[in-house]
This record gives sequence, structure tokens and C-alpha cells, in this order.
Amino acid sequence: MRAVELASAPVSGSPTGARRHAPSRRTGDAVVRLLLVSCAAFVLVTTAAMLLFLGGAGLKGIRAVGLTSLISGALWKPEADAYGGLPLIFGTFVSAAGAVVIGAIPAVLAAVWATEFAPKAARSLYRRIMEVAAAVPSVVYGWLALVYLIPQMEKVAHVFLGDRATGGEGLATAAVLLGVMIAPTVLLLSLDALARVPSALRDASAALGASPWQTAMRVVVPHGWRGIIVAVFFGFARAAGETMAVQMVIGGARKLPETAFSPTTTISTQIVMDMQNAQPGTTGSNVLFAMSMVLLVVAVTVVLCTRWLSRGMRTA
Amino acid sequence: MTAIATEHPAVEARSPRLRRGQRKGRLLEQVLGRVLAALAIVIASTYAGGLVYLVARGGSRLVAFTTYATPLSDIDGEDVMRFVLAAGMFAGLAWVGSLAVRGVLARVRGGHQRNVDRVARVVIGAAALVGALGFRDHLPRFLIGLPSETRAGGGIGPEIFNTLYFAVLSTLVTLPVGVGAALYMARFAKQPRFVATLRTALDTLASLPSIVYGLFGFLVFVVEMKLGYSLFAGAIVLAILNLPLVVGITEESLRAVPRELEEASLALGATPVQTALRISVPYAWPGILSALVLSIGRVFAESAPLIMTAGTTISRGTAYSLDPFRGGETLAVHLWYVNSSGLAPDRADVSAGTAAALVVLILLTNVLAARLGRFGGAAGTRLRRATR
Repeated sequence: MRAVELASAPVSGSPTGARRHAPSRRTGDAVVRLLLVSCAAFVLVTTAAMLLFLGGAGLKGIRAVGLTSLISGALWKPEADAYGGLPLIFGTFVSAAGAVVIGAIPAVLAAVWATEFAPKAARSLYRRIMEVAAAVPSVVYGWLALVYLIPQMEKVAHVFLGDRATGGEGLATAAVLLGVMIAPTVLLLSLDALARVPSALRDASAALGASPWQTAMRVVVPHGWRGIIVAVFFGFARAAGETMAVQMVIGGARKLPETAFSPTTTISTQIVMDMQNAQPGTTGSNVLFAMSMVLLVVAVTVVLCTRWLSRGMRTA
Repeated sequence: MTAIATEHPAVEARSPRLRRGQRKGRLLEQVLGRVLAALAIVIASTYAGGLVYLVARGGSRLVAFTTYATPLSDIDGEDVMRFVLAAGMFAGLAWVGSLAVRGVLARVRGGHQRNVDRVARVVIGAAALVGALGFRDHLPRFLIGLPSETRAGGGIGPEIFNTLYFAVLSTLVTLPVGVGAALYMARFAKQPRFVATLRTALDTLASLPSIVYGLFGFLVFVVEMKLGYSLFAGAIVLAILNLPLVVGITEESLRAVPRELEEASLALGATPVQTALRISVPYAWPGILSALVLSIGRVFAESAPLIMTAGTTISRGTAYSLDPFRGGETLAVHLWYVNSSGLAPDRADVSAGTAAALVVLILLTNVLAARLGRFGGAAGTRLRRATR
């Protein structure tokens, strides 16, 4: 809006203004403008190129294997030309959903505490800690899980399954790890969402005699729920796309898990493992691009949902 | 206040502590509130404790200065690398120290002290120089050694170099393109349609998982352009990965530039381009810098796309080479590689040290980004108040 006003300001727009400037300045301005436009165009071109390249290779993969068998086949074995993506898709979505249950719900509750109940001094400290935790590389989380989480999960699996337990690596371990990893992100985004709730609402609620708990749960959270949902969506997307950390703990068995603690695999894990062996241009490589389209769909869905929800936020 | 208090004696009893929402609520609510607080505090202290533990465990391997000289391993550029590493370490230590001193001084004397800043700058510079000259031959072996796949005692020297070099290379792309695109969107775009398309493109980029970037880089640079695994491919991929972040923050800080400043500049006869380059960008610079520092933090942290574009190896001949078309792993990739395919008997220690180095780098970028961002925010508030 404002850019339009500036650009159409008389200084540059009208012919009289143009004549007053020295010619060198005019060409200099034009060059800079051209550079800026090309920067913006670069962003568009790269995005388009990414979608085209990935889509092109992915379509080749889909054509070679067939969409139904790629989505519903239960065996992924590139050595035997078996490309059934169901275990990958299942592992991705179930581990991400588990992460949301394990990580996002406590994170949202903690965000409510930090904005509504925490003493003022604690708030910025809380945010600081979470910012650092969200910035810690995923391989570091993965390594910590490898060293400390897997032995614990092995014990847990023994409690639930007895002798059928296979070890600490598996779907449940990945879900716990992803939950720990997405919690800081979800918490920070929820903090932002709750901080956007106008404090006049809190004052009004308190003036009507509501207790802090009532104010938080019946006024602030209902008002900021769209932002919280967006935060949880982002957490889900991050968990679904996470690669290295999951690869380190999920066990890498290319089949559907028998129990919640059985090793299985995810889309991103399989991409990073198989890509090193697959010959570029072959079906084995193209199929991986096809699987990455699933991640693409998740990402685009999250963007659309966020758009839709934030449009509602503005009108509300 | 007093009128209410006299009407409600129960309120008056607690009136000194009367704040918003002071009514305590029912017992159940109080218990639930306590539970919530406990949960939140447990979460925060787990993360904080975990970080401290990480740094402490790996730190034993990092801090152990050798009092004896560590021999050069006759790799090209190792002496320069040692110089830079020693200077960086000592400057970092001096910076942290000066922050602490400044904090104490601000408490004692109050307010911001200009001369303390100047002294701190001199002290940091001196520490870097002394460290670089005096201790470059006495660095911890772990920090300058070459990694070893099979034997114990491998270091992370080339990995540190690659990590920092990646930050430089990708910033070379992110800075001009990101700031340019943001400037265009915030100031020069005329068609709302084009801006909306750009925004959709950036949102899509921002939500793509990093492995997808890796696939793209692999397909375009490694396969189609036949570059093989190279730092160049990895840096371009990381730059694209960081574009949404940098464009977003830059645009935000450009929008925070007071309108009066720009209008004054235009009224004085400057063209919109001159106004943008000499008024808007300098004013928004702290915000842009903090965006760049955040993006550098992501360069340090990213591993999946680098495995697919820059590879997982260090070759002895080009360990410290500035040639961007060689392959090489970063600290994050090394941490993964050591645990997934390394055979070294001391890989638990190597992992701990690598993780600690990585976390220290991330902490530094976070502190730096927060300081830069706060500086911009304060300047913005001051000017906004002055121009109101």
C-alpha cells in the first residue's frame, strides 16, 4: 500500500520531476530498480524451479511404479524393484502425530502459563531458553536420543511388550524425540499468539471479577486459539520433515511396524539413505522424488491452513 | 480504589498486593494453576539443564589447552586456520567477560556507559591479538586435528573451517538477494498481484522441509551440472533455505522505518532509490543484521541438505582450501556421520565435543542476534517517539 504511494510520488512520477534530475542519476536509479526486481524474480524463479525439478523427477517415478502401488504398497525394497511407500508415509505421519501429542500439548500449556501466570521477570528468561532450545541443531537432539533416550525406551518397551520387545529403536522413540524437538517451536509460536491478545480483554475480565485461571482459560485462550492451531500445524510440519534425528533413532526397517515400539522408517529417512546408493535418473532415484512430493503436499497444506486461519484472525 | 476497598473489607485486607486478576479463584483452579506452573518450569529447566550438560560434557574436550606445542600436520592453510581460531576463541572469551563486567557496571552506576564500550572494544581486540600470537601453537588438539574414521584421537578442525566458510558463502548470496527482494516488496512493487505471488512463493519455501532443498540441490548441482559434491552447491541451497527468513525480517524492519524520515528525504529532492538506499536501509540495518545472524545459525545447524550436496568427507589435501568447488562436511554433518558410519573407538567423546562446539556456536549467534535486534528496536522506539 505504502510502496505504491511512494512510487507514485511526484518526485519520480511526473515528467517535470524527471527532467530536473541529472541523467546519470536517472540511469543509476534504473539500474538499482532493475537489480531489486531481479532479486525478487530470483525468489520466484527458484521456487518455480524447485517445484518443476522435483515434480518432473517425481512424475517419472510415479509413472514407472504406478501411483496406487506407490502409495499403498507395503514393501519398500529398492534392490528388488519393490517400491511400496505405505511404510514410509505411515511412519512419517504417525511419528509426527505422536510428536504433536507428546510435545505440542505440554508446550501450549507452558505457553499459557508463561504469558498469563508467570512473574514478569520470568517471561523473558523463559522465551530466551526456548529460543536457544529451538535453535539447537536437530543432529544434536538426535545424538542425545541415541545416547540417552534409546536405552530408556528399551526398558519401556520391555514393560509393555515383554519378550516381544526388539530394542530401543523404533516408532515410539522417534515420536518422543520429535516431540522434544518441536516443543520449543510450538511454545514460541504460541507465546506470540497469546501475546497478541489485547490486554484490554484481560483487564475487562479481571474487572468482572474473574480469577486469573478463568481469565486465561475462558478469555485469552479462546481469543488466541487460531494462533495456537497455527503453532501446532507448524510443529507437525517440522516433525514430518525432520530427517537426520529421526534417521538416527527410528531403526530403518523398511516395513510397517508391528507394534508401537517396532523399528520402521519415514519418507525423509529413506530419501537420505537411498539417495546415496541410487543411480541418478533411474527409477530408484525418481521414486524418492515422488515420495518427497508427499512432504511438499504437507508443506503447502500448512501454508494454506495458516493463510485461512490468519485471515479469520484479522476479521475477528 | 479506596471506595471499593471500604465497600469490600475482604479486598481491603489484601489491598497492598492488589493487582490485575488478584482474586484467587477456587481451590481447584489454584491447584490447576500450580500444576501448569510445575509443568512449564520442568520443561524449561529440562532444556536449560540439557544445554548446560551438553556444553559441560563436551567442553572438557574443548577447553583442554595443551601446554606443549601441537605440531603442524603440513596441510595447506593450517597455520592461518590456527591463527583465526585462536583469535576467535580469545575474542569470544573477552567479549563474554566484557558483557559480564558491563552488566555489573550498569547495575552499580546505572545507565549506558559510552567509555566502557570503548574500553571493551580495545580489550577484545587485544585479547584476540595476544591469543592469536601466543597460543596458536598451543590450541587443543581436538579443535585443529583432522577427523579420523577408524582410529581414536580425531579432531574437528576442517569441520569448524567448513562450517564458518559455509556461513560466509551462503551469506554472500542471502544478503544481496534477500535485502533486494525485501526492499522491492516493501518499497518499489507496483502490482499487488506480483507481491502476493512472491509472498506465496516465500511462504512455500519457508515451510518446505530441508531434505527437499537437499534433493533439489542434489538434482540441479550434483547431477545436472555435474559439479559433484561441492561447498558451492551446499551454500546455494542454504542461501535459498534462508531467503524466506531474511526477506521476512528485513521487510518487517523496513516497514518500521518512520515515514517522516523518508518523506523528508523525498521532499529534499532525493529519488525513491536514493531514499531507500541512504535512509531506509541504514535505518533498518540492525534488523537486517540480526536476520543474517539468525540465518547463519541455521547454516550451522543444518545437516540433511548438506549431506546430499556437499558430501560427508574431508580430504586431507583440501581440508582448509578456499576453493568452493570441493566437497566437505560441517560440524553438524560430522556429528551425524560419526554416529552412523564412524568406526572410531572414541566416537562418544568425539560426538560430545562436536555437539558442544556446535551448541556454543549456536549460543553465540543467538546472543548476537538478540543484541543486534534489541539495538534496532531501541533506536526505532526513540525515533518514533521523536517524530510523533
